Amino acid sequence: MNRYALEMRDITKLFPGVRALDSVSFTVSPGEVHALVGENGAGKSTLMNILSGVFQPDSGSIIIDGKERVFKGTKDAESCGISLIHQEFNLVNSLSVAENIYLGYLHTHKGGFVDWKYVRESASKLIQDLGFNFSVRQRVEDLSIAEKQLVEIAKALSVNAQIIGMDEPTSSLTQKEIDKLFTIINRLREQGITVIYISHKLEEVFSISDTITVLRDGQIIDTKATKDTSNAELIAKMVGRPVDMNYPQRSSKVQDEVVLEADNISCASYVKDVSFTLHKGEILGIAGLVGSGRTELVEAIFGARPLQGGSLLVHGKKVNIGNTSQGKACSIGLVTEDRKETGLALHYSITDNIVISNLPRVSKKGVYSRAMAQKSAAQSVKDLGIRTPSTKQSVINLSGGNQQKVVLAKWLFSDVDILIMDEPTRGIDVGAKYEIYLLMNSLVAQGKSIIMISSELPEVLGMSDRVMVINKGRKKGELAADEMHAEGVMRMALL
Amino acid sequence: MAGGPQKLKFWSRITIVLRSYGVLIGLVLIIVIASIMEPTFLTANNVLNMLRQASVIGIVSLGVTFVMMTGGMDLSVGAIVSLCSVVAIRMMNTYGQTGGSSALTLVVVALIAAIGFLIGLVNGSIITSINGRLGETFIITYGMQIVVASLALLYSGGQFITGTFTDGLYQQLGTGLFPIFLFLAIALVMHAVLTYTTFGKQICFIGANMECARMSGIKVRLLRTITYGICGMTAALSAIVVTSRVFSASPLQGNGYELEAIAAVVVGGTSQSGGNGGIVNTIIGVLVLSVLGNALNVVGVDANAQLLVRGGIIIVAVALDMWNKKTAQRMATI
Repeated sequence: MNRYALEMRDITKLFPGVRALDSVSFTVSPGEVHALVGENGAGKSTLMNILSGVFQPDSGSIIIDGKERVFKGTKDAESCGISLIHQEFNLVNSLSVAENIYLGYLHTHKGGFVDWKYVRESASKLIQDLGFNFSVRQRVEDLSIAEKQLVEIAKALSVNAQIIGMDEPTSSLTQKEIDKLFTIINRLREQGITVIYISHKLEEVFSISDTITVLRDGQIIDTKATKDTSNAELIAKMVGRPVDMNYPQRSSKVQDEVVLEADNISCASYVKDVSFTLHKGEILGIAGLVGSGRTELVEAIFGARPLQGGSLLVHGKKVNIGNTSQGKACSIGLVTEDRKETGLALHYSITDNIVISNLPRVSKKGVYSRAMAQKSAAQSVKDLGIRTPSTKQSVINLSGGNQQKVVLAKWLFSDVDILIMDEPTRGIDVGAKYEIYLLMNSLVAQGKSIIMISSELPEVLGMSDRVMVINKGRKKGELAADEMHAEGVMRMALL
Repeated sequence: MAGGPQKLKFWSRITIVLRSYGVLIGLVLIIVIASIMEPTFLTANNVLNMLRQASVIGIVSLGVTFVMMTGGMDLSVGAIVSLCSVVAIRMMNTYGQTGGSSALTLVVVALIAAIGFLIGLVNGSIITSINGRLGETFIITYGMQIVVASLALLYSGGQFITGTFTDGLYQQLGTGLFPIFLFLAIALVMHAVLTYTTFGKQICFIGANMECARMSGIKVRLLRTITYGICGMTAALSAIVVTSRVFSASPLQGNGYELEAIAAVVVGGTSQSGGNGGIVNTIIGVLVLSVLGNALNVVGVDANAQLLVRGGIIIVAVALDMWNKKTAQRMATI
């Protein structure tokens, strides 16, 4: 009857000082998977928040099934059949799957008691309809991330959602789980449910979506059928200029000197008998699935986890690293995978965050010099191209890419020889990624060594001199530059 | 809409002023109102008396500030005051009968400070060995409070100990301008440590994000433990001042001090989650609570009704802190 399941017309949203959305018009056909792509800060989240009633637009209208609607809150949007699944799940870990699905809508008997039989049966049916089969009595905290996502989707379907928004749904999923999610999305499409899919990962967008809309600086740049566009075209539209998505060329050579040698190291149940070497001026990539023990491995090297066996040699000398400050003393730095939780003190200034790992450098006899700190931080901001009006700015006000650069600046300020980077480009935009790659190249050119973990296979292959694959806590293999190819690494990581 | 941005600027400026100086403005208001209602409020005698009283809790609050800056809590300080009080007075009574020697006072002060420091270290070691967060610091230091309170009672046999020594210096420590100077001197040192040393910087960073501090190679365990030691030490020094003032010691001397100290720190604006605040905040918080208490006394408010006001102030302070965080967050998301 209607051409569109959803039509958003001339939506404008102002935040003090920023035009987050500038008369955005956006249409979605029923039963299509519509991808929304764009750099961080392009306005994707704002648009979704308006659609789900979290924010109210300053002007413009939302038309669903031909009728104009005004959402004063998320309940209004929900009653119009719109559900948004956020990156962070909205589930109560200590409750069962069935309770979570019907949270707030528990069906009751006449007396006011919950009709558990009905609740469990209908929850089971929802899960089965999505092609899965597990007990709805188990608690959500015992589920894998992919299963939790499934519960979120079931929850949306339980309130008869016709339009489901998914914000970066695959950010913490393994490849296998992503495939499962895509199966579910295809099933939803068959049922005529519309999916709006937000993602940074273009490969996924290409494999799942029917239509792609590019947002940039709060404006719609283009909407195209997926089959009519290409990776290069999308990236060019996202950043507004054609970008060479090849990884930057490196002119420096790996030197023979071994700076770090791990000999049969183990860490609890996570890491078993891993041995490897790292050379001066080398980027060693670590590939492996999320949960394969790759993060635990580097944390153990840095001293954040106790080593249970094996030995570590730094510059040929056996070292005993029992805590992070000893790791730092061995000239090892770790850029953690979660910059917001463990990489930064978000409410502290850029200066405070940068100098914290090397306070003696901005102090005289234990007396901290604010002037020296400010000066050093300003230098770092300049060197790394951190975009901020002032070094006194709280890092929470920075974009993801700039935050990540502050974490890097922290370790560069410590002047460590061995820099470990766990997912250094997670959740940051294309432009910032490229800048971080350039920075990594200039570091190894200066004779530093880098260990890089990444879930993005092209990144590992594109940046590393050598790749080590971790699978279930064990080293599965090692590939030199000339033998690296995606299928080989994937096979080692999976099998 | 032309005036829109201008207006926002004006209001956000007001908000910033209120956030930074709200407590200070409150303090000045209390003083002005009290001195209008009762002229004797601002006499030198009353002011000095008030400040002497404030300095006892004040010194305790300084150490508590350090602990709270790291995102922790110390409920054992009151009991430490009690134990140190009875130990100090009994030591002075035992060895200070000959008179004249200030050396004894100095030895006793050093010993008492060491006792407080050690108890604090025990607190800190237990807390850090289980990697305790705010909740655990509450419970562990509460347990320590009971243990130390019991030690104070055992040591004194549950008896009030009257001072019988003749050493002059000890008696001076709590009288005249001495306690006020002592409070300010300790505050000055601790402020300097917190703001101008690498130690202090790291303490604050631990409070801002403990896991990030650890991942930045900071010796979180060691520094946290020392912080509890310092907190115990300031409680011990406070015991010296209070016993000197009353020239006696009760094994229940410090009962409730911990809550008054925490209240002062919170009213000053140091956040319970750590990382925000400082010694200057705490000095203001101590002054607000003691000036308010004294003002209510002077203008003749019923003692039982005074508690109502004190409780209210603390609740408002916490609410303001949460509101601050919310506005800060909102500003951040923009």
